[in-house]
Amino acid sequence: MSIFCLGVNHKTAPVELRERLAIAEKAIPTHLSEICELGDVSEAVVLSTCNRVEVYGASTDPAGALDALIKYMVAHFEVAPDEVEFYRHENDDAAHHLFEVASGLDSMVLGETEIFGQLKKAYATAQSHGTTSRRMNKLFQQSFSVGKLVRSSTRIQQGSTSIGAAAVDLAEKIFGQLDGCRVMIIGAGEMSRTTAQSLVSRGAKSIIVSNRSFDKAEELAAELDGKAVTFDDWENHLDHVDIIVSSTSAPHTVVHRNTIEHVMSRRRGHSLFLIDIAVPRDIEEEVNAVDNVYLYNIDQLQQIADEGLARRERQISVCREVIAEFLSEKGIEALASSPGEMSSRGRQGSAGRPITNL
Amino acid sequence: MDNFYLISSTVFFLVGFVLAVVALRSGGKQVGGLNIGIAVAGLVFQSLFLYERGELHGRCPITNGAEVLVFISWSIVIMYLVLGRAFRLSLLGVFSMPIVFLFQSIAIVYLLAADPGAQRPEKLDPWLEMHAAMSLLAYGAYGLSFVAGIMYLVQDRQIKSHQPGRLFRSLPPIRFLSDALFRLLIIGTLLLTVGIVSAFFMEKLPDALHLIVSWAVWIVYAGILAVHLLKRLAPRILSLSAIAAFIFALATLTAL
Repeated sequence: MSIFCLGVNHKTAPVELRERLAIAEKAIPTHLSEICELGDVSEAVVLSTCNRVEVYGASTDPAGALDALIKYMVAHFEVAPDEVEFYRHENDDAAHHLFEVASGLDSMVLGETEIFGQLKKAYATAQSHGTTSRRMNKLFQQSFSVGKLVRSSTRIQQGSTSIGAAAVDLAEKIFGQLDGCRVMIIGAGEMSRTTAQSLVSRGAKSIIVSNRSFDKAEELAAELDGKAVTFDDWENHLDHVDIIVSSTSAPHTVVHRNTIEHVMSRRRGHSLFLIDIAVPRDIEEEVNAVDNVYLYNIDQLQQIADEGLARRERQISVCREVIAEFLSEKGIEALASSPGEMSSRGRQGSAGRPITNL
Repeated sequence: MDNFYLISSTVFFLVGFVLAVVALRSGGKQVGGLNIGIAVAGLVFQSLFLYERGELHGRCPITNGAEVLVFISWSIVIMYLVLGRAFRLSLLGVFSMPIVFLFQSIAIVYLLAADPGAQRPEKLDPWLEMHAAMSLLAYGAYGLSFVAGIMYLVQDRQIKSHQPGRLFRSLPPIRFLSDALFRLLIIGTLLLTVGIVSAFFMEKLPDALHLIVSWAVWIVYAGILAVHLLKRLAPRILSLSAIAAFIFALATLTAL
């Protein structure tokens, strides 16, 4: 019995194709059953996220199973055979691929943790619908151990890799936990929305949105469960916010040093974090010189994100060493022969050692 | 034997500091745990030294400059172990260790060069002991506020410069640091107040210089706290004040 993996991801297929191949959560059980009816496929797990669609399975004829699976995918999702290039892995390669996916090494945001939860969910779904057995159970359990080990013993998760994440990291280094932090958004653009969502996801509350067009402010405020204020009124709310995200399309600065100095004199020692993601900039650079005020513009945040990404990329080889070391100790358990297989085929081998293509 | 305890303790703090710096430079995550283990080991030897000296003198072992420095170091370590974790500032120990190492190194040199030996009092005055112990414990809290102030300034600089360095991730959030700094100043001032009040009950009042110095230190710290409570000093100003005040407090010790 061998294991295999077939799939597309953000590196091999554009989003237009990935969204056509994406399998809705509700449809996964049906697909699992259908895949298990293909030729020699005896076990299957389907992983479908915004960045990848992958099928893991076990079969006595992996090459045949992969061919059948490609035909199934092409027919079912109505894509032309030459339109999509699936990657296909067997045995050690399939296991290594899954271990790298679980470790976040194959993710669009290197080292991200969301994929770990998505893998667990995909496995749980397959398990609850009876499409996993010994091979998939061993393979996925081991991938979870590898994923945890890589994250705990390397710095693959360290550092911010996006503007939003960099802003959140800085906010946490100023305020500690963001629970209860109050955020004001000046200018209801897409960048403001993304940054505010990052802050809200870490506990920030009391969102105040101000925009020249009040309708847009109300719309974003509703989305973030906040409050909209008119553009003439935002300065009156400065005393009560901890973080300001500004991204107006104004051709001149809208937040000035004297305004902030005046506000800080009333804030009784509370810090203020300003995030200026507008071009041209909304906030006077001199604001950063005010005691207890921290100002970051889009280039400065991008630089932190770039450095974070570079640091994570330097960790890839370390992560691969961790995986290799783990496997040299434990082997790929899903590829070890079961007692029944050993007796029927007369093979010798200790449990946990890789014996491929039985 | 007491010198052996003191040297052992000093070596522990030096090793702790070096290991913590190495761990911080490599981005290690276990700085806090490592630091606490070494600080506890150093504290045990510090305590053994102070116990031996206490037995020698038959009183609280603060009869000379070396013992005073060790007692202040002991207070700093105790304060760090008790308050550092409560304030979520395990890294406070890393920054405290160089000060403790420096103080104890001076004490070792002093004791090895000219140990004045036993200074047994004719009669033990518990209020004198209370005065001295509380005052030096206050110095421990002030020493730690000095450390928290430095940590605040370093982290503030890192964030303001827009180029967060290696220490950025390891140092605590600046709000935690400014809160801890304020609390340490309050704890230190309460302890010093108890120490000064105890002096009024002593059988024989300390000499004028001693009284002036004690009051001067108390006025400086109480003044900082009063201004902060009334005007809410910016944390950077509060940090600078705590640093300057501790340097002043140390200078007054040399005057005594």
